Amino acid sequence: MFRPFADWLSTTALSKTMQDHAWVVPTSQSIHIIAVSIVFGSACMINLRLLGVGRSGRSVSQLSNTLVPWMWRGLAVLLFTGLIQTVTEPVRQFVTPMFWAKMLMIIVVATMTSLYARAVRRNAPQWDGASSRPSRAKAFAIVSTLLWLAIIVCGRFIGYTWSFYA
Amino acid sequence: MVVLRVNIAALLAAIESWPVSAALRGEMPGTEWLFPIVETLHVMALTVVFGSIAMLDLRLLGIASRNSSVSRLSSEVLPWTWAAWGTAALFGTLMFMAKAGTYAGNLQFRLKFVCMGLAAVNMLIFHLGAFRQVASWDSGEPPVSAKVAGAASLSLWIGVVFFGRWVGFTT
Repeated sequence: MFRPFADWLSTTALSKTMQDHAWVVPTSQSIHIIAVSIVFGSACMINLRLLGVGRSGRSVSQLSNTLVPWMWRGLAVLLFTGLIQTVTEPVRQFVTPMFWAKMLMIIVVATMTSLYARAVRRNAPQWDGASSRPSRAKAFAIVSTLLWLAIIVCGRFIGYTWSFYA
Repeated sequence: MVVLRVNIAALLAAIESWPVSAALRGEMPGTEWLFPIVETLHVMALTVVFGSIAMLDLRLLGIASRNSSVSRLSSEVLPWTWAAWGTAALFGTLMFMAKAGTYAGNLQFRLKFVCMGLAAVNMLIFHLGAFRQVASWDSGEPPVSAKVAGAASLSLWIGVVFFGRWVGFTT
């Protein structure tokens, strides 16, 4: 279903222009990795804090209010560089299930993060106290860390699996 | 000098001939996915290295995490940075072993390590310099020398990531 669209996209002038410049994809991928670092690094800091691992001096709400905005900025860069890579090499992305699994997990983890950030903003004192913190905090921390790791795996494996499906 | 060159070439060739290296190249039965898995673990580790260093650098530049003092943020973040760096170095070494000779002669690979070396020197200068008087600027605006260290570190680590990614396109 997506293959005809991918084939058409790869013949557009925009896609062809970027294909003709060999530096576009590696540069975009490098920026993509830097943005992944900002997003995943921030997610790890927040999730470790929720799990009570490490020596954070900051409260949960302080940490979240500082880092979640950086996660959204990083995600914006990820979407932009990801779009560049998709328009330049659409077939590579659309044929492998890794790409679709990655997109699905990004939607899930972004929704979770947004709900989490809203809950913390609305009731900071409850989230900051170790005993009053909702029991779903630890579940959120574990699930979101696993989702980000799976997203990184799928992202890297797009490049290793697409040729089997093309 | 000539003798040394020959020995390095021989050493690189010897590394490539190890069974582990052959497995990493996927040349042994059942090892087709070894390199992709090792590379993915390298990527996971390096995101934590870069992400945690960037947090500190942005704090030194006065851009982010201003609600935390510099010394508290470093003690919070640096243990993870070092653990992740060790992990990235371990899996990076495995990747290197697969094609030691090719990587050693690759320009981007060499530039990556130049950047990492300069980042280490920058860190040393910062620790022996501005960080010694951290108590006097811990919660406020960092001095110019600390900002320079933060900017240099951020630029050099961006260089490490860029050159690292380009190695995959040039080897």
